[in-house]
Parts: sequence; structure tokens; C-alpha cells
Amino acid sequence: MVNYDISKVFEALPVIWQALPMTLLVLFLTTFIGSILGIFLAWAQLSGDKVLDYLARGYIFTLRCTPPIVLLFMIFYGVPTFLKWWLGFDINGWPKLIFVLLTMVLLFSTLISEVFRSSYLAIPKGQEEAGLSIGLTPMQTFIRILAPQAFRIALPNITTAVLNLMRDAALAYTIGFVDVLGAGNLLISRNLGNYSLETYTAVALIYWSVALVLSVLAHLLEKVLSVEVSDGF
Amino acid sequence: MDFNYIIETFNKTLMGVPVTLSIMVVALLLSFFPALFLALGQIYQVRGVKTFSVLYLAFIRATPPILLILFFYSLFPSLLNQFFKNIGSSIDVFSLNPIYYAFIIYSLMTTGTLSEILRSALLTVDKGQLEAAQAIGLTVRQAYIRIVFPQALRFALPNICNLVINIVKGTSLVFVMTIKDITAIARVEASYGYQYFESYLVIFILYLMICGLIQLGFGILEKKWSFA
Repeated sequence: MVNYDISKVFEALPVIWQALPMTLLVLFLTTFIGSILGIFLAWAQLSGDKVLDYLARGYIFTLRCTPPIVLLFMIFYGVPTFLKWWLGFDINGWPKLIFVLLTMVLLFSTLISEVFRSSYLAIPKGQEEAGLSIGLTPMQTFIRILAPQAFRIALPNITTAVLNLMRDAALAYTIGFVDVLGAGNLLISRNLGNYSLETYTAVALIYWSVALVLSVLAHLLEKVLSVEVSDGF
Repeated sequence: MDFNYIIETFNKTLMGVPVTLSIMVVALLLSFFPALFLALGQIYQVRGVKTFSVLYLAFIRATPPILLILFFYSLFPSLLNQFFKNIGSSIDVFSLNPIYYAFIIYSLMTTGTLSEILRSALLTVDKGQLEAAQAIGLTVRQAYIRIVFPQALRFALPNICNLVINIVKGTSLVFVMTIKDITAIARVEASYGYQYFESYLVIFILYLMICGLIQLGFGILEKKWSFA
């Protein structure tokens, strides 16, 4: 059969492991910035303003139709040229992290805005009315009454969105960004193309453990939040 | 911006559309029956099917598609080569069109999502429908094919539309396997004249058009079937 040396997997693991912080950094920063953009997008759709609604929907439609790799290449090659032509700015020396982040934030914001929007709509209208009727301002009602409930509803979908992000972010190796998959590919070329199966197995193991940790954390958080509710009633 | 170049590249990348669409169609067709089997197995609580589906879904959800492609593309050719050598066949695996590998890999990735879509769609059909069909003398198989599936399919349409768009987007990765799809052609064109941005802008618009047409098509289907 095909040569498969399991000890090579364990040799590759520590090397690839060193690139894990890069993958995690992309995940955290994108989740954070993308969520802020996602909140704006969801708000634009729910605000009742027709223009904002069309803009947000056009943006979501466009990005939903764009393959992540095409968007990544467009940003990687397009943004430096554009900035140079527009502002005379030279950003060719900038770290690749910026381009990866920009791509992933754009993609993630569309996913997460749909999650936010549907979870907001899932809260009964009476909650907002009750909050307002006891004298809270609309802002207070949103922060204290609506947002916590919406977050609990959204949590499983947020996990799915972050896992999706993790899978898309693996594409960053195509522009030479050294994340987990990038480190794996570097290792393969350092081995002159040998042991590719073993190296990819090690890469997969790391991705799986990240996904496992994320899922377990989300599950725990779900439990904590639901206990809080049953205490309240 | 070089508009002649853009139009020329657009015409060239159009040649990749059939490749992209054929991978999408074949992946859907190949994964349909395994997905249906998984969905029915979960609904009827066949032992082992539930555990298998959960593990399989977790596996697909946690593995980047590009990694799956890289892994299987390093594995399949040598594995098949060994296999054909062992049975004494003279088929040269390395001259095989890599699109067959793409068919297999994309079917593997589609099956999990499709089974979830089918399961939730089948669950929305009221149990009374199946019982009524059996009461008028249809066999279980007839009842499913004539009564339950058409109703479930109508409910599943928006999700299937999403799935189709996701597969079309996902096929943009097959350039790794040297398949000449839309993205691969654009990459080659781009590296010719270093006009990277223009090339990717062209296929960005092309993908937008394909997705728009897919959504339009599904919208028409949905409208047509909602009166049925």
C-alpha cells in the first residue's frame, strides 16, 4: 500500500504547532472586528430605513456569492494597487496578516449578521415593550433585555460561523501567510515533497483540536447561560 | 484598467463554467442517495447511523476543504496506482483526468450537509401524510416517493439553493488539483501579464452572475411549487 509512517505525524506536530498562534490570532481578531461590522449590517437591515436595508442586502448578496479564495486574491493584489493609485500609499511591505484579516472580516461579517438578525427577530416583541413600559430607555432595553436573550439564541449559530471562518482562513496559505496549513506546506517542501500525507494528518489534528475546544467552550457557555435563566424564574 | 484584457479574460474564463457546474452537479447527484440514507436512518433511529452521522458531520465541520483536497490529492493517485498494479491492470492512473478526484472529494463534503437538509425537510412533513397514504393502500415506498418526498422537497428548496451556491464557491479550490475551472483559468491568465487584480475582478463578476442565476432559478421553482 501507500507508505504511511505514523511517527512522522508526531515529528511534524511540534513544528506545525508553532504556527497555531497565527491561526488563533486571525480567528480572534476576525470574530471581534467581524462581529462589530455584523452588528451594523444587522442593524441596517432592521432599522426600517429602505436605503440602508438595500445597501446591507446588496453587500450580503455580493459576498455570499464570492468564493473566499477569489476575494482573498482580489484584496491581496487589488488593495495595494488601489491605495497607491488613490493616495500614493505604498503598502507592499505590509504584513500579509492585514490582507487575510480584511478578507476574513468581510466574509465573516455577512455570516454573523444573518445570525444576529435572526436571533434578534426570534425574541418575542413583548420583551421590548415590557422593557420600555417599566421606564428603560430603548438603548437600555436593548443592552439589558434584548441582547442577552438574543445572544443565548444565537450561540450555536455563532459557533458554526466561527468554525466556518476557521475553514476559510486555512486558504491564507495561498498568499504565503504562515498559519497552521502554511506551516504544514512549508514543512512538506522542506522535506522535498515527502511525507505529505503525514504532514497533512498533523495539520488536520491541530484543526480538529481547535474545533473541539471551540465547540466544548460554546457548549459550556450555553449551559452557564441557561442555568442563569432558570434561576431567574 | 485594461478593458480589452478584461473582455478577453472574461471570454476565456467562460470556458471554465462547464467544469465548475459539472463538479457541482455530479457532487449533488453522487451524494444524494448516501445523504438520503443517512437522513432516513436518523429518522428511523437505525442503530449506528446516528453515531456515524454525528461523527461525520463533526469531521466535515472541523476540516478545511482545502486541507481535504490536498490530503486526498496526495493520497488517491498513488493508492489507485498501487491497486491497479496489484490487479495487473495496465491503466495509467497518472494520466487520469483529475476531475474524477474532485467528484469524489466534493461528494464527500456535500453528503453531510445534504443529509441534514433532507432530515429537517422530512421531519416537517406531517406524520399523518404517510399514514393517510398507507391507509389508501400505497406501499411505504410509494407513499414516500409520491406523497412525502414532493412535500419535503418544497420545504428543502431554500436550503438546497444555499448548498448549491456553497458548492459552486467551494469548487474554486480545484485549481490545486490542476483542474481548469474558472478560478484556475483566471490564475493562469493573471500570471501571464501580471494583471492579477483584473483577472480576479473578472471572475468575481462571473461568480456573481452564476450565483444570481442560481438564486433566480430556485426562486422561480419555489414560486411554481408553492401553488402545487
